[in-house]
Amino acid sequence: MTNRDPQRDLSPPVRSVGRAAFVLPEVAVAQGAAVAVHRPPVLRLPLAACRPVVQRVALCDAAPVVRRFRFGNPAPLPTSAVSRSPAAPTTDAFPGGDGMGPSPDAAARRRARIAPPRDVVKLEERFFYLLQPDVETALRAGRLSFPRPPFPFQLDGMAFLMPRHAAVLADEMGLGKSMQAISSIRLLVRSGEVRRVLVVCPKGLVSNWARELADWAPELVTAVIEGDPARRRWQWGLPDVPVKLANYEVLVRDQALVVELGLTFDLVVLDEAQRIKNRDSQTNRAVCGVRRRRGWALTGTPIENGTDDLLGIFEFVSPGLLDRRMTPRALGAAVSDHILRRTKDKVLTDMPPRLNRDARIELGPEQRETYRRAEEEGVLRLAGLGQEATIQHVFELVLRLKQICNFDTATGESAKLDCLAAELEEVRASGRKALVFSQWVETLGRLRGALSRFGALEYHGGMSTQARDEAIRRFKHEPRHSVLLLSYGAGAVGLNLQFSQYVFLFDRWWNPAVEDQAINRAHRIGAAGAVTVTRFLAHDTIEERIDEVLRRKRDLSETVLAQAEAPSGGGLTADDLFALFALRPPHAGARAA
Amino acid sequence: MEQRTDTGGEASAFGFLTVVDSPAHGIFGGYLLVDAAGRPLEFHCTAPVKVSRAQAILYGPTLVGHLHGRQIGGALLAEGGVAPVVVLTDQEAMLQVRPHTSLPVAFVRRATAADDPAGFTVGAAHVGPTGGDGGRQAAIQDRLAELGAAVDLCEPFERIRAAIDEAQKH
Repeated sequence: MTNRDPQRDLSPPVRSVGRAAFVLPEVAVAQGAAVAVHRPPVLRLPLAACRPVVQRVALCDAAPVVRRFRFGNPAPLPTSAVSRSPAAPTTDAFPGGDGMGPSPDAAARRRARIAPPRDVVKLEERFFYLLQPDVETALRAGRLSFPRPPFPFQLDGMAFLMPRHAAVLADEMGLGKSMQAISSIRLLVRSGEVRRVLVVCPKGLVSNWARELADWAPELVTAVIEGDPARRRWQWGLPDVPVKLANYEVLVRDQALVVELGLTFDLVVLDEAQRIKNRDSQTNRAVCGVRRRRGWALTGTPIENGTDDLLGIFEFVSPGLLDRRMTPRALGAAVSDHILRRTKDKVLTDMPPRLNRDARIELGPEQRETYRRAEEEGVLRLAGLGQEATIQHVFELVLRLKQICNFDTATGESAKLDCLAAELEEVRASGRKALVFSQWVETLGRLRGALSRFGALEYHGGMSTQARDEAIRRFKHEPRHSVLLLSYGAGAVGLNLQFSQYVFLFDRWWNPAVEDQAINRAHRIGAAGAVTVTRFLAHDTIEERIDEVLRRKRDLSETVLAQAEAPSGGGLTADDLFALFALRPPHAGARAA
Repeated sequence: MEQRTDTGGEASAFGFLTVVDSPAHGIFGGYLLVDAAGRPLEFHCTAPVKVSRAQAILYGPTLVGHLHGRQIGGALLAEGGVAPVVVLTDQEAMLQVRPHTSLPVAFVRRATAADDPAGFTVGAAHVGPTGGDGGRQAAIQDRLAELGAAVDLCEPFERIRAAIDEAQKH
């Protein structure tokens, strides 16, 4: 037996069996478990097959795809087309800054951004509009001065007009449609986007427009198209005149000449565009015949009588857009991106109030008797005509009765005049000015004689343009003239008489929109105080009955412009007129006014 | 594209660089170049960049600077056809683009009482340091004062955002 040191000898133990030397060391047997415990484990690692798996994580560091858009800004106008001759005291467009850019207030204000019109579909073109500076910034950049800072809603109006090739600015009267159009023209001319502009307005407003252009765009050279045919030919052909100004009648006369000269305008602006509401009229055809790239229409009453009015205007603005068969709702949807209309109560919350009052006049005994006889005889005559009665017959009776409400044809008595004179005493005593509107030039003449102590002046279509301008000048500047007597036809549009605090409607017009236009000569931006509007209504006469009809129709424009279903028509129908005398029309449904 | 900064001469361009994070699409980059009147000359925008989980983990806090500065900003500035006087950004992380462009890049924001004195104020905006030496910054400050007489320097970013919104709808 051999003693082995189990700590050192770890060879397998040997045991002797039989004669052969087979020695099994006892100690080894005894220590077998301990040896097994101390035997280090043998690990067989397949190293060659065990490469680590590499996870590749894509970090996508490649440059992203970039889309490029380049905008070619047109060259500005040559200096010969602009002059520096400010006609009126001007002011910075946006005072209040510190001379080092927009003030913090300006920066915080909501900006009048130019948005692409809906009919612009190419992304590049939409970007062109979206990336333009806001209107306020554009005005600052152009260092443009204005007679007064524009209101924020006027900046919005410019942002609406500037990108549009087809636009109707239908703001309520007095919100400065012409100023918004002129300022937009000014920016477009400055940027080189338009070079030839034609402004068309009613004849009576040409001098008004020339003044407004001089005030709001003093650097733009303007040519007024007027005079004999040879002179007009020369004026139409003038090169490098960015703005030409013509009245509707001149354009009708010269429509062949405009074609012959091959004139194409970058922009044609129509003022009082309701003048072209009748698509079959000569005026509509003449205006639509002018070659143009952009067409803007300015009107406070895009819908005077019915939705057909819009069709006439859009025949110029965007030919083919509207169809006579469209429902009012479809019509509203089609024009919604082309029309901008704001009302004073929405945008001029700080404008002086307009105070309306109806003065119900009691006719004197003689005037009442004249009226009663005329109405009875007239109604009897109409009834006697039976099926032969026409709208013309009814009209004649209405006009005759309205005239009697103004002045008794037999005695000359006038309860309205007495009331008006009493009111004017107060107007004169307070040093204020008043406008008096009537349907008839003859009435204005009688009023002038009766109101001579108030220095009454007349303004109507029977006067020359020079005489009318002179009347406005005297009324504005000479304190002894407290009253201006105007006809609805000539005085209801375009005049800025915001220095007048009183408006009297001596008789009523057929259409409330025209009355609103008349009232807004005084109640407009720049009005120094509240404007009081007095509507004379002879009690228990045809005037009260007409007023009732007009009241029912007053909301037509707003209804259609809000895309609601519109009534079938807004003007006085034959039904309305016959109903004034409790009669039935022989042929129902005909449009009368 | 290597661009040379234009701090002299009559014609001037100014760059405005920003990003718009759209939860639905990813991060859009926009780069607007305007003239001295603020009118657009060029506009470049990227396809949306989506951040992967791996990027978020591996870049950690450096992710935003990497995305804005190197990936988006670098790609956009390389596309500019005109060299602006300066590139303004309303994203501080976008300053990380500086190593990848030769153009001066500055951070702009509404001026406050606590503005970095190393920068300067133009109108209602505060412009941070533009990098480079003092003479270069002074020249840039003069040119930005001309632009700032009409344009609120924070305003063009609104235009970029409006354009990117439009691109998403298109």
